[in-house]
Amino acid sequence: MLNNALYRLEPQAGETIDRAQTFTFTFEGRAVIAHPGDTIASALAAAGVHVISRSFKYHRPRGVMCMAGHCPNCLVQVGDEPNVRACQTPAEPDMVVKPQNVWPSLKKDAMAFTGLFSRFMPVGFYYKTFIRPQAMWPLFERILRRIAGLGKVNPATPPDRYDKQYLHTDVAVVGGGPAGLSAALAAAEQGATVSLFDENPQPGGHWRYALPAPDDGPLPDLAAQAEAHPGITVYPETTVLSCYEDNWLSARRGNRLFKIRAGAVIFATGAYDRPLIFDNDELPGVRFGGAAQRLLRLYGVQPGKRAIVVTANDGGWRIAAGLQAAGVSVVAVVDERPESEAGAVSHVLQADARVFWRHTIRAARGAGAVEGADIAPLDAQVRPQFIAGDLIVINIGLTPANGLLYQAQTKISYNEDRAEFLPETLPAGVFAAGRVAGSHAGATELAEGRLAGRQAAAFLGLAPAPPSAEITALAGQKAAGPKRSSARVDVPGSQKRFVCFCEDVTDKDLETAIAEGFDSIELLKRYSTISMGPCQGKMCAANTIHLCARHTGQSVAQTGTTTARPPLAPVSLGVLAGQNMEPVKRTALDAWHRANGAGMMVAGLWMRPEHYGNPPAEVQAVRERVGLIDVSTLGKLQLTGPGAPDFLDRIYVNKWQKLGVGRVRYGVMCNDEGVVMNDGVTARLSETTWYTTTTSSGAGAIFEWMQWWLQSGWGGEVHVTNISEVNAAFNLAGPRARAVLQKLTDADLLNEAFPYMHVRHLTLAGVACMVMRIGFTGELSYEIHCPTGAAHYVWERLLDAGRDFGIAPFGVEAQRILRLEKAHIIVGQDTDALSDPISADMAWAVKLDKADFLGQRPLRQVAQDGPAQRLVGFTMARPGLVPDEGLQIVRPTAAGPEIIGWVTSSRHSPTLNQTIGLCWLPAPLAGQPGATFTIRMNGKLEEARVHHGPFYDPQGDRLRI
Amino acid sequence: MILLNCPNCGPRNVQEFRFGGEHNPRPAAPLAVDNAEWTDYLFLKANKLGVQKEWWYHRAGCRLWFLAERHTQSNQVLKTYCWTARPNREGETCVE
Amino acid sequence: MSFKLIKQAFSSGQPPPMWKPQPLKDRYDVVIIGGGGHGLATAYYLAREHGITDVAVLEKRYIGSGGSGRNTAIVRSNYLTPEGVRFYDESVKLYGQMSEEFDFNVMFSRRGHLTLAHTDGAVRTMRRRAEVNRLQGVDSRLIWPDELARLCPPLDLSDHPRYPVQAALYHPPGGIIRHDAVVWGYARHAVRRGVHLHQLTEVTGITVEKGKVTGVNTRRGRIKAGTVLNVTAGWAGVIADMAGVKLPIATSPLQACVTEPLKPFLDVIIVSGSLHVYISQSDRGELVMGAAVDPFASYSMRGSFSFIEGLAGHMLELFPSLRHVRLMRQWAGLCDMTPDYSPIMGHTSVDGFLVDVGWGTYGFKAIPVSGKMMAQLIATGQTPDLIRPFRLSRFEEHNLVGEKGAASVGH
Repeated sequence: MLNNALYRLEPQAGETIDRAQTFTFTFEGRAVIAHPGDTIASALAAAGVHVISRSFKYHRPRGVMCMAGHCPNCLVQVGDEPNVRACQTPAEPDMVVKPQNVWPSLKKDAMAFTGLFSRFMPVGFYYKTFIRPQAMWPLFERILRRIAGLGKVNPATPPDRYDKQYLHTDVAVVGGGPAGLSAALAAAEQGATVSLFDENPQPGGHWRYALPAPDDGPLPDLAAQAEAHPGITVYPETTVLSCYEDNWLSARRGNRLFKIRAGAVIFATGAYDRPLIFDNDELPGVRFGGAAQRLLRLYGVQPGKRAIVVTANDGGWRIAAGLQAAGVSVVAVVDERPESEAGAVSHVLQADARVFWRHTIRAARGAGAVEGADIAPLDAQVRPQFIAGDLIVINIGLTPANGLLYQAQTKISYNEDRAEFLPETLPAGVFAAGRVAGSHAGATELAEGRLAGRQAAAFLGLAPAPPSAEITALAGQKAAGPKRSSARVDVPGSQKRFVCFCEDVTDKDLETAIAEGFDSIELLKRYSTISMGPCQGKMCAANTIHLCARHTGQSVAQTGTTTARPPLAPVSLGVLAGQNMEPVKRTALDAWHRANGAGMMVAGLWMRPEHYGNPPAEVQAVRERVGLIDVSTLGKLQLTGPGAPDFLDRIYVNKWQKLGVGRVRYGVMCNDEGVVMNDGVTARLSETTWYTTTTSSGAGAIFEWMQWWLQSGWGGEVHVTNISEVNAAFNLAGPRARAVLQKLTDADLLNEAFPYMHVRHLTLAGVACMVMRIGFTGELSYEIHCPTGAAHYVWERLLDAGRDFGIAPFGVEAQRILRLEKAHIIVGQDTDALSDPISADMAWAVKLDKADFLGQRPLRQVAQDGPAQRLVGFTMARPGLVPDEGLQIVRPTAAGPEIIGWVTSSRHSPTLNQTIGLCWLPAPLAGQPGATFTIRMNGKLEEARVHHGPFYDPQGDRLRI
Repeated sequence: MILLNCPNCGPRNVQEFRFGGEHNPRPAAPLAVDNAEWTDYLFLKANKLGVQKEWWYHRAGCRLWFLAERHTQSNQVLKTYCWTARPNREGETCVE
Repeated sequence: MSFKLIKQAFSSGQPPPMWKPQPLKDRYDVVIIGGGGHGLATAYYLAREHGITDVAVLEKRYIGSGGSGRNTAIVRSNYLTPEGVRFYDESVKLYGQMSEEFDFNVMFSRRGHLTLAHTDGAVRTMRRRAEVNRLQGVDSRLIWPDELARLCPPLDLSDHPRYPVQAALYHPPGGIIRHDAVVWGYARHAVRRGVHLHQLTEVTGITVEKGKVTGVNTRRGRIKAGTVLNVTAGWAGVIADMAGVKLPIATSPLQACVTEPLKPFLDVIIVSGSLHVYISQSDRGELVMGAAVDPFASYSMRGSFSFIEGLAGHMLELFPSLRHVRLMRQWAGLCDMTPDYSPIMGHTSVDGFLVDVGWGTYGFKAIPVSGKMMAQLIATGQTPDLIRPFRLSRFEEHNLVGEKGAASVGH
């Protein structure tokens, strides 16, 4: 058990932990005591665990540095979850926390030897080695992969529950610090509904943890006012991840994803500490000012025992004073400014702290953790002096947290005077306030927040725009306010100095890369991999720009920035995915099918019965007796109005004007390239009412296609209604179909009264149905369309009626065999994105002589030139061989086999007891019935023969019985 | 362009819509035009970097096909409107 | 350990630059617009194979800033049409020699490429592709769930997913390559052979006189040239318009994303046509993922939230154990989509103005072979057989390439 008391202080004002309760979790197998409200990192810090991870490349020890979720140094594995930010993740009882990518242990990591060879591993070294012999690269790669990566994926990770919520708000305020709170209040006072998002448990921003406890702001008041205001909803522990067009934001709280549409957005996202580049600048014990303050005030944890505070602003002095007040011995304050530029701050320190003006740090010293620092004057070439201590606080400047502003397309430029990247031009409806906009004094932050709130309300038309004099005055106030950031990003040195902590990129690496020609910021990023690790540039981007500018002789402004890409903070796939929302369409008979032994198959969005156990027997039932199939998945469109035949004439290749009432016709639909899009039957139900079916998968697209033509000029006097799900449909097929149907109706079903390719309204078992006599299966058959609500009833009545006739339900597989025996094509299987109907053996349907229709022009050309390839039937010479669909038809040549076609459909026909199929062949070959060709099966060429027309009942007599 | 203003339904999330491609009127008499014009209609695209007139369909809403003028770089939509003419089979073309 | 690295380790100086800036001349024999992989490869092969070195590559931003640096670096040759297979197979072979040729490790990792089939229709298409591939001598076959489970243990092969996996097209030579390294390798060796590389040089106009191209205008001045090649992918239409040439191209964003690094557990490349997603794990441990092109044409590279939401949902259908894995970065590139999912290479109606465009979502795979073929075309004036199917005139001849059926997700 680790000693929790080592670094834990007496209770601090505003701390988040509940000291009344304790629990334990384990880190690398050792028990750690924590309080509710602790994060994993704060509990580890309290227990004096300074090393939490090892770095990516050199496996250097790393510890809590930023305490704000920005740097990669506290990434740990928690149970099944890799790459957890220990500083942001609440500790929970019995959590199993482990360091990542270390072996055998965090303390004795074998891969740490790589640091000794770092001179052989300069930037981009992998491009320059493992080249010869080439055959060795796979082996090298295997080794590289063995050592790469951070956390582990557990393949047995159990599922969890995630959800999503849409939010609509007038104003979204991102960040609940002083600027964000005052912005929210100001906007709400103007009548706007406001949503305030803050990633912390409570709003307050940097006022929650600033040292010493603030005397410059009414924080508790502001937060309480915001909570109490009816127009404001506060979302704590909610991280805004991204901002897209039209103020479309995403945010995460736990396992919930918010998608937010805001009228206006105010970014009050604050700022975070900017690292200083010096020797061993990431040694555990080097912590940013923000980390020291957070540990102390939020968690009651001493960030160290003996502190060296490195600063360039008055804030560093306040931190030093706060540390002293908490019992930390401040051994030195190192300020790069001359005393004359500092505010009246130095007197806050107790006397035992040494003070260094115009000095800076040169190096952190220590084996595995900070044991002291080398301090040197800024300018003079004197030997640095060593000062012992176990904590180095770096507080030299801030990086405005402007990732979301970049995503919102804000023009951001480098402000030389403030040494920060600040917003220059904001897009309409986007506002910025507080530290992200360069306001550092409490009063200015509040004023800027209020102004942004009013501007947002004005943008939404809820209030008059604030006078421009006020805006100008505020800008002046900001410029005159305290400066927080030093323009200095590095100090001289000779050892490892990391710019990028994620990828272990040093300043020397950057210099080398620039010398090699990667002299623009984007090329530099790609070659050095800087900013491409888990922190996504939060630590390194600003410093890299400064270094790139220096080494290329350009200004920071000329150097520019890399593109800030969403998401702002990493987000799990589980949160992004939410609940599984893959839609499934089931017919009204789905339960019946499953209860009756159907093997179900995926058919687009639908589930359909593929078979009921024995497809050949199902085929036999249809051929010899009668079968029933659920074809409810067919697309069903109703066309009404006198303009219907004109419209159909333009959409289909067939003619429709003369189709009489009560008749049905098979139709083929092409696009203007002459490519087959869909097929189906169309019935004329009355003078002005037509009923069209489409393929199951094409229903939606064909409806939209028709709507497009209707709504863009071809819509004279016709309406199309998609009733695909309004009606169910079954096909009753087989020589005894009429007898079965007759049992459910008194209507005359004889050939004369209800011939082939006709449609009738029939009352079946009391249900009004529309019945089409058509024949995809090649037998006497009736396609019965009834209201979906009556589907189950009608289906069962049909089965009851058919019992004496040997009726059997049949599935998709039997239907495929039945249609293939008739050589009927399936659009999308036998045709593809280049197939025209003439080549696809449906020339009979194409009426080139009618008025303008879709595909007429290219089809005339095909008719004139003749098809190059044709879809035809085939049989196999060798009995029993069934070539799989997709196999290639080849012609042996001296140069090897040449592809001349391919098999689109094939089956063993139980009716004919032979192999039958459809294939594409060169037209001359396809034109000769009985001609032979070869299909490549398992590397061997098997002989096949061209077959014209249906394989079964070529004259179609059985359809007309 | 997360929001698209359907002329019937008002501003809606773009995911409710289907994109229909740039506005590309079909020749009134396809058999009468030369191959260049026909190829242009079938395949060629202005693919404008700038404001493009294009078709959208409100799939999850009123099922209206309408026209939008959108800047293809910023995705900002300048306006949306219904296709208005009611042409006949004699080949009247659209008037917006 | 290479000698160069040892030398670099013990030297106080810097390694030599990969390329050096040259002065912008006012005329070149050949001007290549676009400093991506295709443009730089064409320049390289012009110099190496044909001795043509009076060549300028003009790049609006920095080299590889377009699709070459934004794609997901998958290389394969298991296409649907014989012409596609032949073409990409040549490309895979050239990629295989690249590290040695450039003395620069482009890290071509032939880890195997798997295209999942979730429907019987997809199984049919995969079988068709496998057969076409094998007839062209390309290693490609249909495999079933038992073998798939061995190749990719984390894949959910149960019947829990909405679209259970039925089979896969397995293409062992398919792999991943370091895409930026390809660009840098071509740039370095083109420049070494005398090609001028001009970054931050945006073309603003193309001059045509009497149906013949005479030069280009840039933000840095006018350049005369008798041959101008448009290799600008998503911006192909904008550049072609400067020469008065209209193309059958619509520009659409294609998005991709990457997760935080994880210990490598996924060695193969997985593509699902039905779910429109694909995934591989880089040698750094990141999962690199992508999907189909965006649902509407645009020149915007901001990306969308619906993309990562949809991708995450589909990815968890394939790999439910990835739910804790964090997405770190998303980005977009611009794709020049053609009606038949095949490129456009060769002459246009303007004499001397050539195109190598229309690469849609699959341009990266073709960089070496298209560079070589375009160089041959420029040097000899003759269209090589390998790229004849991709000529621009196929559209007015209504003789399209049949790759569409296999290209719903072309990765």
